[in-house]
Amino acid sequence: MKRKKIIKIGIITAVAGIVIAGAIGLYMFNMPHRDVLSAKADFSLTSSQIVTEYLADASAANEKYLAADGDSKVLEITGTVNKISDDFDGKKVVLLKDGSDKAGVSATFTPETNANAEKLQVGQSITIKGVIRSGAAYDSDLELYENVILEKSDIVTK
Amino acid sequence: MKKLVLVVIAAVLFAGFSANGQSKLVSSKSHIKFFSTTPAEDIEANNTTSVSTINPSTGEIVFSVPMQGFEFEKALMQKHFNGKDFLNTKEFPKAKLTGKITNIDKIDFSKDGTYDAHVEGELTIKGVTKPVHEMGKITVTGGKVDASSKFNITLADYGITFVKGKPSTNIAKTVEVTLQAEYAAQ
Repeated sequence: MKRKKIIKIGIITAVAGIVIAGAIGLYMFNMPHRDVLSAKADFSLTSSQIVTEYLADASAANEKYLAADGDSKVLEITGTVNKISDDFDGKKVVLLKDGSDKAGVSATFTPETNANAEKLQVGQSITIKGVIRSGAAYDSDLELYENVILEKSDIVTK
Repeated sequence: MKKLVLVVIAAVLFAGFSANGQSKLVSSKSHIKFFSTTPAEDIEANNTTSVSTINPSTGEIVFSVPMQGFEFEKALMQKHFNGKDFLNTKEFPKAKLTGKITNIDKIDFSKDGTYDAHVEGELTIKGVTKPVHEMGKITVTGGKVDASSKFNITLADYGITFVKGKPSTNIAKTVEVTLQAEYAAQ
C-alpha cells in the first residue's frame, strides 16, 4: 500500500515537472520582443550630448549603453530634425542633428509610430525615444561620421 | 574686377572637381538579410541600419553594419544572436565589408542600366577578417544608383561554431546574405 502511494506521488511529480518544463520551454520559444515603446527610458540626453560622448570614448559609451543580449538601453534623445526619410520596409527614419555637430542620431520608427513621424518638419525641435543599436564614430573607410542608431522609435510628448 | 576673380576661382574649383571624377556615393538606405535553412527550421533576420559608400572613380565599396540592428521573428533567437557565444555584439557592435569593384571601368554611373559588379575585398565579422570575392549588381536609373548582392557566409570562418544543443541542429553552417542599398551623391 505504502509503496503504491510513493509510486503514485512519484508519477504525479514527474508529470507535473514535465508540464512545467514544457510550459517554460514554450514560453521561452515564443517569448515576446521587449516592448520598447512602453518601456521607461534609461537615459535622457540631447543628440549633441550622446554624439560627443561616443566620439570622446566609444568603448566606454558602448559599455554604458549596449547590452550583451541586444536589449540595449532605451534612450530619450532631444534634438533638431535634420532629415526625414524612409527605409526599405517603409519605416520612417528621422535624423536629429544640430548644425555644428559632426554626427547625429538616426531614429527608425515602426509601422505603429510612422504616422507620428510623418507630421514632423525639418528644423523642429523634438524628443524621440528608442532603443540604441550602435553609436556614433568616424569611419576611415567610409570617410564619414556614422550616426547613433535608434530603432523602435516614437515621439515623446512631455 | 571682384566678379572676375570669383568667376576664375569658380572655374578653377570646377576644373578641380572634374579632374577628381565623380563624388562619392553614399547610402543610408539599405537592407541586409541573413537566411539560414536546416531541416529543423528556417531562420531569417533583417537589418536596415547599415551605411555604405561607393567611390565611382576607384570602385572602392564599404559597408558598415550595426550588428544589434538585426531583427528576428523570435525574441529568444535575437538574444542568442547578440550573445557572447554567437556574434558577441556588445564587444563587436559593427561588421564591415571593405572592397573594390574590380570591373569599375565597365560601369557607367551616368547611363541607365544594370551592370555586373565583381567585388574583391575583406569582410570583418566578430573581429575576424576574411577575404571575400562576390558578385553583385549595380543598377542606374535616372541618376539613382542601387547595389544588390547575394552571397554565402560560412559561420565557422568567423569563429561562430556550435557543437551541441539546438543551435547545432537548427542553424545552418552556411548562411545566405542578401543585400540591397540605394545611393545618392554625397
